[in-house]
Amino acid sequence: MKPVLPFIMAGSPSLERLPALLAEAAALDLEAIEVGLPHSDPIADGPVLQAAAQRAIARGVTPVQVLECLARCPSSPSVILFSYFNPLLQLGTGRLIALLRPTPVRSLLIVDLPHGEEAEFERELRAAGYPLVPLLAPTTSLDRAMRLLQERPDPGPSVPFAQRFAYVVARLGVTGAAGAPDLGLVRDRLAALRKITGRPLTVGFGLADAVSLESVRAMGAVPVVGSAVVAALYEGKSLRAALHAE
Amino acid sequence: MTVPPAEFVLPTRFGRAAFGGCYAPETLMTPLLELEAAFRAAQADPDFGVALARELREFAGRATPLTPAPQLARATGLQALYLKREDLAHTGAHKINNALGQALLARRMGKTEIIAETGAGQHGVATAAACARLGLVCTVYMGATDMARQAPNVARMKLLGANVIPVTAGQGTLRAAVNEAMRAWAARCDRAHYILGSALGPHPFPTIVRSFQRVIGDEARRQVLAAHGTLPEAIVACAGGGSNALGLLVPFAEDNLRRMAVEAGGHGRELGEHAARLDGGRTGVLHGCKTLLLQDSHGYTAGTASISAGLDYPALGPELAALAVDGRVEVWRASDEEAFAAAQQLCALEGILPALESSHALAALPRLAREGVRVVLLGLSGRGDKDIASYERALKSGGAA
Ligand SMILES: Cc1ncc(COP(=O)(O)O)c(C=O)c1O
Repeated sequence: MKPVLPFIMAGSPSLERLPALLAEAAALDLEAIEVGLPHSDPIADGPVLQAAAQRAIARGVTPVQVLECLARCPSSPSVILFSYFNPLLQLGTGRLIALLRPTPVRSLLIVDLPHGEEAEFERELRAAGYPLVPLLAPTTSLDRAMRLLQERPDPGPSVPFAQRFAYVVARLGVTGAAGAPDLGLVRDRLAALRKITGRPLTVGFGLADAVSLESVRAMGAVPVVGSAVVAALYEGKSLRAALHAE
Repeated sequence: MTVPPAEFVLPTRFGRAAFGGCYAPETLMTPLLELEAAFRAAQADPDFGVALARELREFAGRATPLTPAPQLARATGLQALYLKREDLAHTGAHKINNALGQALLARRMGKTEIIAETGAGQHGVATAAACARLGLVCTVYMGATDMARQAPNVARMKLLGANVIPVTAGQGTLRAAVNEAMRAWAARCDRAHYILGSALGPHPFPTIVRSFQRVIGDEARRQVLAAHGTLPEAIVACAGGGSNALGLLVPFAEDNLRRMAVEAGGHGRELGEHAARLDGGRTGVLHGCKTLLLQDSHGYTAGTASISAGLDYPALGPELAALAVDGRVEVWRASDEEAFAAAQQLCALEGILPALESSHALAALPRLAREGVRVVLLGLSGRGDKDIASYERALKSGGAA
């Protein structure tokens, strides 16, 4: 299907369904998928992802269970593991890397870990083959963006997409904000970023409808769909339907 | 706006434990860098210092008095006790010191809106008052549980023109309010400044809040030397995030005396029954900083319990936590019941109704006396009007509400 990066929350609708969802993603020929570890204090997430994390935690889903479940999904597309820092800090790099080894995880997106705050943690993960994804927000100046892209460099076309891309945040605020982001601003932003990097770019935060997804693709970037997918899956829809692939 | 600096200039970490830091989403990094730059520029600008000192004097009523409390001293086994009366600051707590400082900073930065979280409602009231005075639009996020138990402060915020937004997530307390305030700031950081109410959160907040609160200890040092002739043997304050404790203790950091902070012991020792982070917490990251955090084995933040809405936050502010780990501040706990008893004693013996938060500091006095301490300076962080309903319930039941 057309390029898209779906986000699903592990444990919502249930952890038991995760392997089937990843199998469906593989059947849809998706290159990668973001899998979120639920967290108790998701400060960068809107209501849909907060509720999904809350449900997962209430049902007893833990980070270790999620990683063990991922280890049983060998035919999944590349997984980008989305997390807040604290649950990973509590695991420690040794345990975390050992848990990651048998999984399809290829990179980590840690929302509240700027480069340099935990240099040793980040270095060890990278050395083990798990680079951290750079995030570029609307508040990130081009100078700063250039630096962030160097701090978490693109290894080049020989590695999977999940280890190369940078995540462009489409708007101020949290995930799942209502209404499509201003696509004109997104287009300008992507054009500016294109001048400083050739690596693949994804665009997310509030993308939901088929028209927005198509527009982002037309700008040469991969749309990320999170809250809309999580909500649709919770309503019992298939991943295919959630991604407007039908 | 000038180009934001690429790096922080001030130290972002505290103590041997290297607590603190800036664990913030990228959207907030540039606002935080700009905030630090604005803070540094304000600190270096004599006009800012003059304007803030003037607001503190003319609006907040500083300097707050130092009140000797001879009856309570005798009753608790001390020789002398001095109360630093932040309850007499405008809006009824130390929170106004930080709210005014940051509101002036926000105006300097050209921000037109203020976002704040509040637990006990004192920071919300102080911020609402500062915003009314300086002509800033004010939105306060407050947990629904806290809105119920601190109802008078909700009414005050609304009267002062603030938009109070209930937060029903989690336990409906301070932690949930901070989550929501951070989200709101990420959405409106182009025009809004977030006035964090305690010495917590990502750098530079802990440093900014401590620096605006140290007026408490700077005044108290002069006052206690004038009143007593020598420094006290111990200084004690309650600790939620730690802003009044740091404000009082930091100017005495190099002195040879005991520095104490008292946390909420709640109603038990199990995780979820208290907010005693020193014993119960492990190093973790919450709301942008690394510190001692009450959490379960998976790194999910734990629930807390305290009769005091201002002390039930699951993390100790990073600087205070670092001072505790380095042995420079002793951290004790006081239970709900001990806090109630101490409040009643202060009312009866000295004619002062303390906030439930401050009552936790008062509860440490008998133990300090038993350990041989004779002269104590105590930070009375706020007044108890907001807690009337809880006090009445405790009186009726003859103990904790
Ligand atoms: C009167 C009073 N004292 C103390 C606190 C605790 O905060 P901190 O530890 O930042 O001083 C609060 C917080 O709401 C308060 O209202």
